[in-house]
Amino acid sequence: MSCGPRAEVVADMDDFGWLDRLDLFKWALLAAVSAGLVLPLIGTQLLLRRTSFQAIALPQFASVGMIAGYAVLPWWIDTFGLGGLTVDQALEDPHAGTNWHLAWAALAVFMGLYGLVRAGRRGQPSLEPVRVAAAFAVASALSYVLGRLSPVGRGHVDELLLGELLGVGVHEFETIAVGLFVVAAVFAWTRHDLLACAFDPEGAQVLGKPVRRWEVCHQALVGVAVSIATLVVGPVLVFGLLVLPPLAARPWAHSMDRFYGLSAALGLLAVLLGTVASFELDLPLAPAMVAAAALFVVPLAFVKRT
Amino acid sequence: MASGGGHEVSDSTAGILVELHAASFGWSGRAVVGPVDVAVQRGDYLAVLGPNGSGKSTLARGLLGLLPPLTGRCTRWTERLGFVPQREALDPVWPITVEEVVRTGAAGRLHGLRSFSRTERETARARMAEVGVYELRKRPFHALSGGQRQRAMIARALVSEPELLVLDEPVSGVDREATAAIRELLRALVTECGLTLVVVTHQTELVRGAATRAMWVDGGKVREFDAHMLSELRGLDELWTTRGGRR
Repeated sequence: MSCGPRAEVVADMDDFGWLDRLDLFKWALLAAVSAGLVLPLIGTQLLLRRTSFQAIALPQFASVGMIAGYAVLPWWIDTFGLGGLTVDQALEDPHAGTNWHLAWAALAVFMGLYGLVRAGRRGQPSLEPVRVAAAFAVASALSYVLGRLSPVGRGHVDELLLGELLGVGVHEFETIAVGLFVVAAVFAWTRHDLLACAFDPEGAQVLGKPVRRWEVCHQALVGVAVSIATLVVGPVLVFGLLVLPPLAARPWAHSMDRFYGLSAALGLLAVLLGTVASFELDLPLAPAMVAAAALFVVPLAFVKRT
Repeated sequence: MASGGGHEVSDSTAGILVELHAASFGWSGRAVVGPVDVAVQRGDYLAVLGPNGSGKSTLARGLLGLLPPLTGRCTRWTERLGFVPQREALDPVWPITVEEVVRTGAAGRLHGLRSFSRTERETARARMAEVGVYELRKRPFHALSGGQRQRAMIARALVSEPELLVLDEPVSGVDREATAAIRELLRALVTECGLTLVVVTHQTELVRGAATRAMWVDGGKVREFDAHMLSELRGLDELWTTRGGRR
């Protein structure tokens, strides 16, 4: 999902062959591939910590942040200015627009994460899913209310809520590619520490690991990945890629490395299958990718519990 | 010497590894066990016995520094500590192999963004061989039997080369044969490797004839008694009666 200028989506796609479509939407597809490879890795951590509900709530927080960004943009420019841009220029400028909304998305995600973690420490652990569900309900309602109140960017807000990503341009692709590459690299380097501290926090503490600091590192990786991905590919695809590939991979994975690899592979496969389904059946791209990922979960109904 | 929250870590070379002075431990500001005075000496095999819910595990966490003392003082003369938690503390959702579990024991030596070195991998394999789980190293951890899992967790603790190893209910839910094997393994760790052990259990057969010191915890009160008594008792019920425990 972008907030700068978008590629013109052509009305009659029947006139376009496969190669033309791939060329026309290459930035959107490359952005989805980036998300398909990295978000399932982050999703594995949420699943193993039994915090997959966050995968539903956090992209919604990011959406609220971005929509709030639209809502306050005219007031902000009137009051503080934004590099000398007018409201229209800010909306159309790919760099200013993306950076502005990324800041708002990140602010909302990290505030939401902080609130959930703090409530989790103080409240009853068994009520964790209820707290996250309540946060999702509030964020969901807020996104529609703020979208209605926003004096600008109505079209962008609608696209964001629908999960359409065909209009992603080169700047949005660069943003998600660089952002998620950094997240994946940090994850790869820190995975042993993250594993030790999450698998047995007390054991790790006895070994002298700063468990709380590593938990903050995990939350930061989640926050950055969700903020950037929601901004570029929208909350629908982020929900799906965080939850479905790790869930589908878990019964077939008997080691951590295989779990990571299989989750990322299924995420990539969901993006590719969804693209084919979208082009062949004229379906919206992001929901088609999520539907493809959902197909991988179907065999779980027939897998013996381990 | 570093200190904080009533915990102190010293670099003294005295024979004491951990010392509690009138220390009490608990949760949310409420004491569960203590006040207790105890000094764990190098080479000790200390059995901490008592019924479920008596405060044994809380005391173990206090010794390890996982809980700050609510009153009194806890001094640790070593930072080389190992911990084998209760089996139920580990979530079966993790698709983790035995070798991956054992390797996490070296996590304390990872600094910055460094990964496990070849030496650390070899150390992990050596410890697995010592406790008899090397052949199982590629198996999913949660597919193992209770006894095999405990052996893997002991191997993980040994990877960190501890001076003091604390085990919390190591044979809970483990069959009689595996319990006997773990008893022999623990005995060997003390007699052959010179390790200091604190074993929290409510099963006297695990520590009978092996423990050099014994403590009875009930209702948060801690009393030390002659470990030789364990050889004369058939089980916790008899010990309970002997120590004047309440039901």
